[in-house]
Amino acid sequence: MSRFNLEILLGIILVSFTTFIVVIYAFNEEDRMAEEAEAQHARAIEVGATVYENNCSGCHGPKGEGILGLCPPINDGQFFTTRLEEVGWSGSLEDYIISTVASGRTTSTRPDEYAGQGRPAMPAWSDEFGGPLRPDQIQNVATFILNWESTALEEFVLEELATPTPSPEEEADPVARGQRVFLDRGCGGCHTIEGLSAGTVGPNQTNIGTVAETRIPGMSAEDYIQESILDPSAYVVEGFQDDVMPKNYNELLASEEFSDLVAFLLSLR
Amino acid sequence: MLRSINIQDMRQRLGAAIDNRVRIITAGLGLDELRAVMRGDPPTEKPNPRFKVHTTSFLFHIRPRYYQKGSTILSHTFRLGYWVVFFYTVELITGIVLMIYYVPTPEGAYTSMLEIMSAVPFGNLMRDLHRLGAEATVIFTFLHMLRTYFTGSYKKERSFTWLTGVILLIITLFLSFFGYLLPWDQLAYWAVTIGTSMAESAPLIGNEVNLILRGAPDIGAGGLLRAYLLHIILLPLLAVLVLSIHYYKVAREHGISMPARYQEGDLSKEKQKDVKRRVDFLPDLFSHEVYLVVLGLFILLLVTIFFYGGAPLESIANPQQTPLDTKAPWYFWWLQGLLKLGDKALMGIIIPGLIFGLLFAIPYIDRNPHRSFVKRPVAVSLGVLGVLILILLSYMGLPQYGIETPAATRIIQDMSPEEGHGPLQSVPYDQLQQGFYIVNETPIDNLCPELDFGCPELEEFYALFSHRVNEVIESGAIPNGDAVIVIENWQEDLKKVTMRITWDDPETGERNTYEKHVYIHSNSQGE
Repeated sequence: MSRFNLEILLGIILVSFTTFIVVIYAFNEEDRMAEEAEAQHARAIEVGATVYENNCSGCHGPKGEGILGLCPPINDGQFFTTRLEEVGWSGSLEDYIISTVASGRTTSTRPDEYAGQGRPAMPAWSDEFGGPLRPDQIQNVATFILNWESTALEEFVLEELATPTPSPEEEADPVARGQRVFLDRGCGGCHTIEGLSAGTVGPNQTNIGTVAETRIPGMSAEDYIQESILDPSAYVVEGFQDDVMPKNYNELLASEEFSDLVAFLLSLR
Repeated sequence: MLRSINIQDMRQRLGAAIDNRVRIITAGLGLDELRAVMRGDPPTEKPNPRFKVHTTSFLFHIRPRYYQKGSTILSHTFRLGYWVVFFYTVELITGIVLMIYYVPTPEGAYTSMLEIMSAVPFGNLMRDLHRLGAEATVIFTFLHMLRTYFTGSYKKERSFTWLTGVILLIITLFLSFFGYLLPWDQLAYWAVTIGTSMAESAPLIGNEVNLILRGAPDIGAGGLLRAYLLHIILLPLLAVLVLSIHYYKVAREHGISMPARYQEGDLSKEKQKDVKRRVDFLPDLFSHEVYLVVLGLFILLLVTIFFYGGAPLESIANPQQTPLDTKAPWYFWWLQGLLKLGDKALMGIIIPGLIFGLLFAIPYIDRNPHRSFVKRPVAVSLGVLGVLILILLSYMGLPQYGIETPAATRIIQDMSPEEGHGPLQSVPYDQLQQGFYIVNETPIDNLCPELDFGCPELEEFYALFSHRVNEVIESGAIPNGDAVIVIENWQEDLKKVTMRITWDDPETGERNTYEKHVYIHSNSQGE
């Protein structure tokens, strides 16, 4: 057979093979696209979780549980059922989340329950309005928050990892216990303690044990810290807003928790 | 009787009319002639209409009338130049399809990539073909150049053709480079940031060149649009222009070079006559080209669909976050390797400039008239040396070479890299059992007794992590090192994995910590 004829024969065989490959691919294409869309949604949740951890968890809690008196939870049934009606939002919950995260809240919608961090109650997060997040990051955070729906509506029960029981020494040490109170009660959302938290709404507490000694002449560090927690307006550090920190910590904290927290803060020198 | 004559007459006239139309479309080939061409039969008319088309049709005019038989043997050219044009065409076609969906803005680019992959039928295939085709173009351009060099086909009347070829190599590299930015992911953004920063280091005009390329001090909306326009308009136009010159010289002026053994060797009279025999464009060269198109498409589709893992897409470009390991596309590793050797201006601009200058000048420097291997030992050994240096520099360009990362960071990044898959990502989702896994405390085996089939992959991952940590503890890099992996259920179908290494700082004695939080969704790897 001449090269010419051989190439025609092989060419025809190859064209049929190629057609066969493309047809197989085409049959699979719809499923592949659906799978890819699902994987993209999953990756958006993963990225959103990281953005949330870095930007939102300080106030709204690592798992969206919020801080009593300050920031509302965003992982509960109320958020997923009645919240839109409450604020009179006509769009979808996703739009509501994106809009709120992007532009923030100048004043709280529930000042008695969740005062937020003052004025504004929540800052604008979009880089279009002076915040740090790009639109795609805000979109991903919204996708992540929406993924709380099944647990919020109790359709799915999440087994949580039991925190390891504190060792007996830790249990006996008021400073260690106080540190847990500081973290559990969301103090770190507003106050920085280097190596522990990174809030910037309230004054830095990294060396509060030393600072408190000299803040008010004639007042002991312990008294100053106690009074500042129970009545935050008593002494406001220059450059910070008044009326931001909740004034009901005498109700929120058990008396032992309170004394542990004070002991912990006093130890910060 | 009269009627049948009429019908015969009409049939003839109809046949003549169709034949005439066909001749107009094919620039002179009638129906019978077309049939003969397709069957590989000799010409049906005189003068040979297969030669006439080369003057009556532009498209045939730019093709060769014939090549000499000796120059068409496969082992001489390997059809490398043909494959470059083939892949350029693949790029052109898939590129036009991708252009329909692609939006060249920082807000839209990445989203349009996601859409092409998940919402456009065959979109992902087009993207894979475009990516693979681009790499193939670079490979074949380079191989074509090597072939031309080692067969000595750049000499005398071919020296200008060689020069246009080097320009085409540069255009091909720039086309890939600017196309690389368009997906607007971390990979793209940082590779191109490094690339354009070399332009910045150019003496005198560096700052201006950088501004013209990026549109701003950093790559943003302006830089993306410029890369896009260079990629889809300016560089393709230049490529067509230079390719026209390059190809026309081969097709119509000097033809493909004769293998050195035919040109310079001792051949018998018959053999000499045989190698100089003409192989006509119609039907031989043309049918061979059509066959190669079919063959190329088959291999390309087969590889893309069944053997290619898919064009990479990392997370969206983030100018605020420099990845730990930035990597240029592989065909620029040699440049990255050069950059590690010294100053940016010298290694990034001046030396590459000299290299390409040297490539341009090869036919004018090398005055040796011979073409066979044995008669040009210097040129051949320099060529081999050049290829070896290129490979060595490429190896040095790998991120693993010559860059030190702190031990704890390295381990955790290796377990779960910022982008793509690491050992952590290869643990199936349902094996990620909630718990604390403390290195040297939690036993390595039987991690999940409550799972029916256990969790072999998780155990493997944990063993690897423990092994790596113990290795550095023994080396003394992290005194008093502790390491832990915490896996928590975070949401439905979402787990949080924390990897933490703590150690005493050898200088201050303080406790140092490096930790990384990774969120893993059950669907994120695709199934």
